[in-house]
Amino acid sequence: MSTEATQVTQAPARRRVSPRRRGQVVRAVQYAVLAAVVLVVAVLADWSQIRRAFFDAEVAAAQFPRVLTVALVNTVSYTLLGFAFGLVLGLVLALMRLSSVGPYRWLATLYIEFFRGLPALLVFVAIGTGVPLAFPGTFLNRYVIVMLALGLVGAAYIAETLRAGIEAVPKGQVEAARSLGMSQSRAMVSIVIPQAFRVVLPPLTNEVVMLTKDSSLAYLLGSTLAQQELAQFGRQALTEYRSLTPVLVAGSCYLIITIPLGFLARRLEQRTGRAR
Amino acid sequence: MPSPRSTASTLALGLAAALALSACGGGEEAATSESGVPLVQAGTLVTCTHLPYEPFQFQEGGEIVGFDVDVVDAIAEDLGVEQEIVDTPFETIQSGEDLNAGKCDLAAAGMTINDVREENLDFSDPYFEATQALIAPAGSGYTSLDDLAGLSLGIQAGTTGAEYAQENATEAELVTFEDLGLLLTAVQSGQVDAAINDNSVLYDFAADNDDVEVTAEFETGEAYGIGVKTDNTELLEAVNASLARIQEDGTYDEIYEEWFGTTPTS
Repeated sequence: MSTEATQVTQAPARRRVSPRRRGQVVRAVQYAVLAAVVLVVAVLADWSQIRRAFFDAEVAAAQFPRVLTVALVNTVSYTLLGFAFGLVLGLVLALMRLSSVGPYRWLATLYIEFFRGLPALLVFVAIGTGVPLAFPGTFLNRYVIVMLALGLVGAAYIAETLRAGIEAVPKGQVEAARSLGMSQSRAMVSIVIPQAFRVVLPPLTNEVVMLTKDSSLAYLLGSTLAQQELAQFGRQALTEYRSLTPVLVAGSCYLIITIPLGFLARRLEQRTGRAR
Repeated sequence: MPSPRSTASTLALGLAAALALSACGGGEEAATSESGVPLVQAGTLVTCTHLPYEPFQFQEGGEIVGFDVDVVDAIAEDLGVEQEIVDTPFETIQSGEDLNAGKCDLAAAGMTINDVREENLDFSDPYFEATQALIAPAGSGYTSLDDLAGLSLGIQAGTTGAEYAQENATEAELVTFEDLGLLLTAVQSGQVDAAINDNSVLYDFAADNDDVEVTAEFETGEAYGIGVKTDNTELLEAVNASLARIQEDGTYDEIYEEWFGTTPTS
């Protein structure tokens, strides 16, 4: 009787795979999938064609030095111009979002939703042809146009980042500052914004990475050879040399910028985490 | 006592004002050439084109060269200025937007004169005879648009060839490419079964590449013209005068020979 009772209360004993064994099986399956993919690619791809198309040393050598002195320099300068403008406009928008005046808030929200919801390509086309048409007689410098288009796109994202950063500063900080006799604006400038800045640094770094890639849309605005950025440089050379190697070279140049920035963003995030 | 929100408003207002002020940069006053023709930039004749369009304009070793480049160089020479070339999407060239926006003085992009474009810009006298042609992988046997029924035909955005295909290749699946380089690469790699574009650029490409051939020409009787902004009569007259000069003094024939290896028939 007593043995039966225990059997009822206990769950029926099943043969269970030990967790360690299960982990081994899962890992083995993952390795098998990877090996299969590598094998399929290796067997199916036409390696001589791939080498000819992507890794032509002569063609690669021909891209230097212009890929660095012209294309890379332009990509970096367009990005920095766009980011600078985007940062100023983004700060305005972020403060508008936090404003007590209704229309400011609505306008900022409208702007942010509008530009976040549009492909950057359309913004570039609209700005590139629209601005000179809207202000006839003024010959607008191309760098200004790129700065506007890239900055307008970036500002929407930057504004949201900054707003989140400002809101992340605990209320108590302002209250403490006020109780020390600081004015509201003084508290904002010397207490809130510096702390918010530290919070937003990592996402802002990621924003620079995004703008670096978006700067490739500058080709839509027309460019002289001296104004070519990396993507356009690569595309032109693709036609000239009938090889994809220049595209790979240009791509590597993007990675020279974006990988360190990504690394920097992660480092900053860790630092912010520690400072908390 | 100001609330946090009102501070934000004041700051926002101040920054917005600063931004508005900084955005109001002064425009340059209208520049002119020696002969009094208005130009968008002093001392230069800015040409809008769309690369690559070999042999009319393409990049070679860090500079832009080609038939159109040489023709416009002659025009610039007559105006006493230097040519500067701006590479811009073909759609905005032929729609007149680039010229209206003051991006350039004229457009030389192997551009066929047609009624639709005439509405958006003013054309010079014709300077080159052209027609449409079909390019396909060697040995494909596609010699007409009817052969492409159910197959894919590559076209270039905004071109007369694209228009011709839309009207006449109703059975084919049309695939649009942004520029000639991408279009021709697609034919070579088999992404499309054939492509349509201006005859001279296709012959030029087929001469350099054994794996493709020009299989058909379609008599469309087109001619290239140089585009200027609507009602820019001073520049248009200067362009036409230069074109007439190079036709007469043999410069045109020299340029033609350099890029096509033959002398013009007409």
